[in-house]
Amino acid sequence: MGQNQVPTVAIVGSGPSGCYTAQFLRKRFPDAQITIFDRLPMPYGLVRFGVAPDHAGTKAVTQQFDRLFERDGVKFVGSIEVGKDKSLEELRAEFDVVVLATGLSADRQLGIPGEEKNGVYGSGRITRLINGHPDESLEGIQLGERVVIVGQGNVAMDLIRLSLTHPEELAGVGVDREVADLIAHSMLKQIDVVGRSEISDAKFDVAMVKELGKIADVRFTSDAPILGEEGDPETQKRIDAINTLVDNSPVTAGRVVNFHFGWVPSEINGEQHVSEAIFTAKHTGERKALPADAIYTAIGFTEAEAAAVKRDAHISEITDLETGRLAQGLYCVGWLRRGPRGTIPANRADAKMVSEAIIEDFENNQLEKVTV
Amino acid sequence: MSKKVVILFGTESGNAEFAAEDIAAEIDGRDSEVVDMTDFDIADFTSDNFYIIICSTHGEGDLPSGAVPFYGALEADTPDLSGVEFGIFGLGDSSYENYSKGSERIDEKLRDLGAKRVGDYGRHDADTGTLPNASAVAWSQELLASH
Repeated sequence: MGQNQVPTVAIVGSGPSGCYTAQFLRKRFPDAQITIFDRLPMPYGLVRFGVAPDHAGTKAVTQQFDRLFERDGVKFVGSIEVGKDKSLEELRAEFDVVVLATGLSADRQLGIPGEEKNGVYGSGRITRLINGHPDESLEGIQLGERVVIVGQGNVAMDLIRLSLTHPEELAGVGVDREVADLIAHSMLKQIDVVGRSEISDAKFDVAMVKELGKIADVRFTSDAPILGEEGDPETQKRIDAINTLVDNSPVTAGRVVNFHFGWVPSEINGEQHVSEAIFTAKHTGERKALPADAIYTAIGFTEAEAAAVKRDAHISEITDLETGRLAQGLYCVGWLRRGPRGTIPANRADAKMVSEAIIEDFENNQLEKVTV
Repeated sequence: MSKKVVILFGTESGNAEFAAEDIAAEIDGRDSEVVDMTDFDIADFTSDNFYIIICSTHGEGDLPSGAVPFYGALEADTPDLSGVEFGIFGLGDSSYENYSKGSERIDEKLRDLGAKRVGDYGRHDADTGTLPNASAVAWSQELLASH
């Protein structure tokens, strides 16, 4: 391909990484044909189906992406699952550059006995349900008075907040009324939020914890030790945020949320449906049983068994995951490239880096259509 | 003759950049340039240009990652910015504490170094579910009419 030409680009997946990649490539190649494929009929992946519906400010980033399709000539092709409806080989033969931006959609498993029981739900499934994902339904979901959430990252914080928000308020931000009534049901009395990390390494953002303080009629407790001034500033911020949340909450309230730090999940018990989750203290080996009518697992995401395109099936001699290069003309970006860490801005930085690798390869004449 | 307008953006998710581009697109009859704070050399500040700063807020009222090196350079080199005039527009989300604080840190630093803020302090609240583009463009048009 000569210097005067521009590459044709296919991006697989229209979540934040895919859309940001299109943005960066569009800036460098104003005339290139850029097409984004998605297995769903509608674009935006996790911005649409992962970001909580009450975080309108975060979801607004889709208005940046709208412009790609409305003004900047990027084409969206929905309802095509690459690897199933159209092979990746075909795509690579048609386009000079193929970028895989399919993310990681499966809930990571706890890997403990009993997690297959009814009443254990992955956080991905629940957030998709709340956000109206076409593949999800209420079928088989049964909650109760006590929910245990395993994991203490921002997804767990979302689930706490959404569970305690009035269903009408959720419906007001677009959540299906039946789903809102189920998730934020009036029977809910207690949420136990359990993480294997000590508070010093807990994964939540402080802003997310502060947001919990705005919910009415909730008592918060925590088993984290109150540290002195010696702790490092980031740790201290997390401790302060949890302590403030606990101190400012009413002594008696209709609902209670207990934070448990430093507990490793070891077993889930129950007949057909869960009845309790067992945890073991990381340092002392002490055992704790928490009664549960339902368990949400929020310990991260991984590649789905049934994923139509798997990253590691395309590892080649020139693979360099640091820059997103998989094979000649084939790249990966975002969570698929580096794992399920970081929010929307981190994926913008990722897309920028991988776009730079693509541009560099183009300028060095390293792009050629792959022949099938 | 009107001064050239340099629109400096500091961004995390691209929203400030997106608005900066729209501000530039609506500027008629005078030179303008959109520059990422990350790529801006603070030695280039000059009273020959007029600056529009558009900056978001990250986390706990922190600077967006795109503004961190810029702020660090101002702090380390403490250039004399007297004679430099700027207008500022802050992005934030009022559902979190420290709404719009990121831009305020830049504003404070520039004024400490002798630059002069002119016009109204522009702000946009992301909690409305809208992007800042429309309000930022309207704000900039009013600002540039007199600067």
